[in-house]
Amino acid sequence: MTVFVMLLSLALGGYLIAVLEGWAVHGRLQPARPAISALALLGRESLLARTPDRLFFEVGPMLLLVAGLLAVAVIPLAPGLIITDLATGALFLNGALAYVLVALIMAGWGPNGAYGMIGGWRFLGQFVAYAMLIVMPITAVAMRAESLSTVDIVTSQSALWNIAYQPLGFALFVTAAMGLCWLPPLDLPTASGDLAGGIEAEYTGVRLAVLRLARMVIILALAGAIVTFYLGGWLGPWLPEWAWSGVKILIVAGLMVSAGRLVPRVREARYLELSWKLGIPLALTNIFLVGVIALVVPI
Amino acid sequence: MIGARQGTMTVLQRIVAAAMSRDIRGFVVPGADVARAAGLDLAGAGLHLSATPRHANVLIILAPLPAGLAQAASVAYGQMPRPRAILALGADDLAPLPDADAVGPLTQAGLVTAMADLRQVFAAGSFQTDIHDFDAPALQTRTEYTCPMHPEVVQDEAGNCPKCGMTLVPREAAVSPHAGHAMPEQEHKMPAETPVKTMATDHDHTKIEHSGHGGGHDHGHAKHAAAEAPTQYTCPMHPEVVSDEPGSCPKCGMFLVPVDAKDEHTGHGGGHGGGHDHGHTKHATTEAPTQYTCPMHPEVVSDEPGSCPKCGMFLVSVDAKDEHAGHGGGHDHGHTKHATAEAPTQYTCPMHPEVVSDEPGSCPKCGMFLVPVEAKDEHVGHDHGTHSQGHAEHTKSDHGGHGNGATIEGVEAHFMSMADLTRDMPASSDGLKMEWIDVPFGPFFPGLPGGLRLDLTLDGDAVATTSADGAVDKRELLHEGAIAADAFADHLAALSPLSPVAYRLLACLALEQAAGQSVATDVARSRVAAVERERLASHLGWLAGFGAQSGFVWLENRAAALQLKLRDATIPEIAALTSKITTFLARVQRTPLLNARLKGIGRLTGDDALPGPVARAAGIARDARSNDPIYAGLGFAVLTGTDGDALARLVQRCREISQSLDLISRAGAIAMPDPHGIGMASGTGEALVETPRGAARLSLTLHKGMVTAADIGTPTAAHVALIATVADGRELGDALTGIGSMDISPWEVTA
Repeated sequence: MTVFVMLLSLALGGYLIAVLEGWAVHGRLQPARPAISALALLGRESLLARTPDRLFFEVGPMLLLVAGLLAVAVIPLAPGLIITDLATGALFLNGALAYVLVALIMAGWGPNGAYGMIGGWRFLGQFVAYAMLIVMPITAVAMRAESLSTVDIVTSQSALWNIAYQPLGFALFVTAAMGLCWLPPLDLPTASGDLAGGIEAEYTGVRLAVLRLARMVIILALAGAIVTFYLGGWLGPWLPEWAWSGVKILIVAGLMVSAGRLVPRVREARYLELSWKLGIPLALTNIFLVGVIALVVPI
Repeated sequence: MIGARQGTMTVLQRIVAAAMSRDIRGFVVPGADVARAAGLDLAGAGLHLSATPRHANVLIILAPLPAGLAQAASVAYGQMPRPRAILALGADDLAPLPDADAVGPLTQAGLVTAMADLRQVFAAGSFQTDIHDFDAPALQTRTEYTCPMHPEVVQDEAGNCPKCGMTLVPREAAVSPHAGHAMPEQEHKMPAETPVKTMATDHDHTKIEHSGHGGGHDHGHAKHAAAEAPTQYTCPMHPEVVSDEPGSCPKCGMFLVPVDAKDEHTGHGGGHGGGHDHGHTKHATTEAPTQYTCPMHPEVVSDEPGSCPKCGMFLVSVDAKDEHAGHGGGHDHGHTKHATAEAPTQYTCPMHPEVVSDEPGSCPKCGMFLVPVEAKDEHVGHDHGTHSQGHAEHTKSDHGGHGNGATIEGVEAHFMSMADLTRDMPASSDGLKMEWIDVPFGPFFPGLPGGLRLDLTLDGDAVATTSADGAVDKRELLHEGAIAADAFADHLAALSPLSPVAYRLLACLALEQAAGQSVATDVARSRVAAVERERLASHLGWLAGFGAQSGFVWLENRAAALQLKLRDATIPEIAALTSKITTFLARVQRTPLLNARLKGIGRLTGDDALPGPVARAAGIARDARSNDPIYAGLGFAVLTGTDGDALARLVQRCREISQSLDLISRAGAIAMPDPHGIGMASGTGEALVETPRGAARLSLTLHKGMVTAADIGTPTAAHVALIATVADGRELGDALTGIGSMDISPWEVTA
């Protein structure tokens, strides 16, 4: 039952975000647009690249979808409304998202085209840039909650949300999350101006639909993670708990998909440089600060 | 519908077809920049643009295409998934493409009508039981076979690699004399959009001289080696096993594979021209004495076989290696076996290459055993003489294998190390050695001006070299002989779709001078205003293009909307928009991350042959308008920047937009340049006009009302000559940003 409810809310959330993304990019609010586009996409031929690495080509989009769904499994929408409340939930989320990298490299390599291949490699190059900034802020969040369970992490914020408790970690985590779901301005693996679609460039029809669906799931999973770790999850007055989660996740995901349209894409080299040289020291500082606060001030 | 998908129109198919008719994804040929310059609002007509034909279902063709682009368009069409359609605006003959599903004139109204037709075509005919295959000469390919490890091995028939015995793998190549250039190492197949490399009939753009990386040239190279060197046999797993006869490996029992005596010139794609005289063959294996070492303890070296005193393993034989990798195309180097014969053995730490000792021992830093190395022999400065193109890179890269401390004995013997495989390849600017691949960009690449085609040789994601041969299609001004003076201005304007007004003025001025006419100052001013209006629209179009290239959607949409409003706006309309434009320009220059994106990219300085805004952004006051009395009367002064990088060019264009607004308001009226009353005049005329991209000059001979001879110079050639400077050695995204920042018009007109 829980699984069913979660999948349903995932589908609904994904649809709403797709509407929002269309609004951000095309400037028109068209509620039916994602349904029409999806139908049209499914009706097109799903071409096989001419000399593909067939296994990678086929598995890439599917693995991406699986990684996204696994990550969703540990996001709580309300007390009890979670697919599996693992004691190591926060770590599991990180583990599931590690497959995004594998899937993107496979999807980039599989079609045997230069644009996709470079797109995949770019993402590989970014691995440390985002992975450390995902896992290190999570460490600080878990330190406060004294647990890796995502449910415990939410309840630990009842007095003060983590966005106020560790704003530095929040900023780093959101940036890394944007990179992990390759959203503009960090959409380097698919950059249309550099790579004509990159890892998506050779996919058509059903396979492209799976790839895009998977990415939507990952965006929602990461928005869910941001809400869980920093925005107090389901906590909030008046509204029912699931509604708070839903509203927060939609707002966060909406901001994530639409923010990039206001700035140019970040250069690959610059992104790596900032993540390594600035991001990682800041993340360590964040862990240190949270450690000190947790010891000194009991909130 | 010619591009229908196989199927019958059941209920489900009808629903899908209806969805498709409302979800039109266009791939624009030659490009969105041409569409904007023609005044088309594609988004306004309900079109979503795709970055690749794979994601599009409509190929949108604008105006008659030059032959080369028509070929490329047929490849793009072939890459689109069915159901697919063609929408042609202002173009009648589409061959080799099939007939268009919807047509119209090259106007917004024409587009809207054609889109309505197209929706009906999709709704009614997306699925058909009998579908048509599309074939075009440009799509013809043949299969050739190559070795995954030795890209220089290319043959027409399947078989085994003569070097390593691996089974050759098939790959596609164009049916073309240049087939060897097509795809380099492995089968890095054509990326989705860019068809240049397989265009069988598109040889007019001097590809003959192509300094082909990989494929073709190295082919000849390989043969060369194979012909002269005696065949030897070695074990794929134990390279130290070398025999003059075939057989099996005494260590692992695998079949020995034939090798030519080592000539490590393998495909680093440095573009060595084929027939050079390779002086050096097979130094290593035949001349060096055999020694024996322990696979686990490389410091153990013995002249005789036996077992290791440390761990008891059998010692394996090594040839004293001679690392002559990757020299240039085999000029008579005359260098054989310097290393082992002449250099004393030294010892170094595998982890700390800075630790070098004359005696074996352990590393003072980490305690590991030092391993023997040959004393380095730095072959950097060989005289490369007359090599062209690819060799510049070669020299820069320190000769690949030389002197990089990669000569640690025994360490690499038992596994396929990346360092080994790439040892002979030149390192690129980021210091990494990778396989080089040739990737065509354009002519319809979304991050470049439509029609521009480049061949980038990529080293990982860095651009190693750029070939701009055939970057633009050159069209002759008078290819049909003499042209009537009355039609000449229209003709020249049509050849320059990105800035027709400036070229129209150019034609008018030259014609009027030839006919001995002069125009009144107010007419001249209003013409200048028309050119300035085009300049600011063109600069806004560049901003929109930059927005598209860098994923800056807000800029793309806003700049494109302003460009469409301004390109044929009247003086009061422009005045009404002025404050809005000023706000917009200020907002653009304040954009977060903009500096980080553009600062230092594509820097062009010095008094090179920089054209137009590119020169002015570098602080060079080069502007054809500065000597024009009409402009002087409007209070024109040349604006210049300082830095000469992509950011300076963006700022320069923003300032020139404001300047053009001023000039237009002072001119007071706008009138399209139009030559009339030339009559049957004869004479010669010359004119110089500052187009939005730089100065263009035209000289012509008028004979009894006919233009019989003309000579024209456009900024395009100067831009194209700068491409390699801006791109080489840069990360791919930076290279494309740099090229884009020059605002190249691929619509070159020659005499």
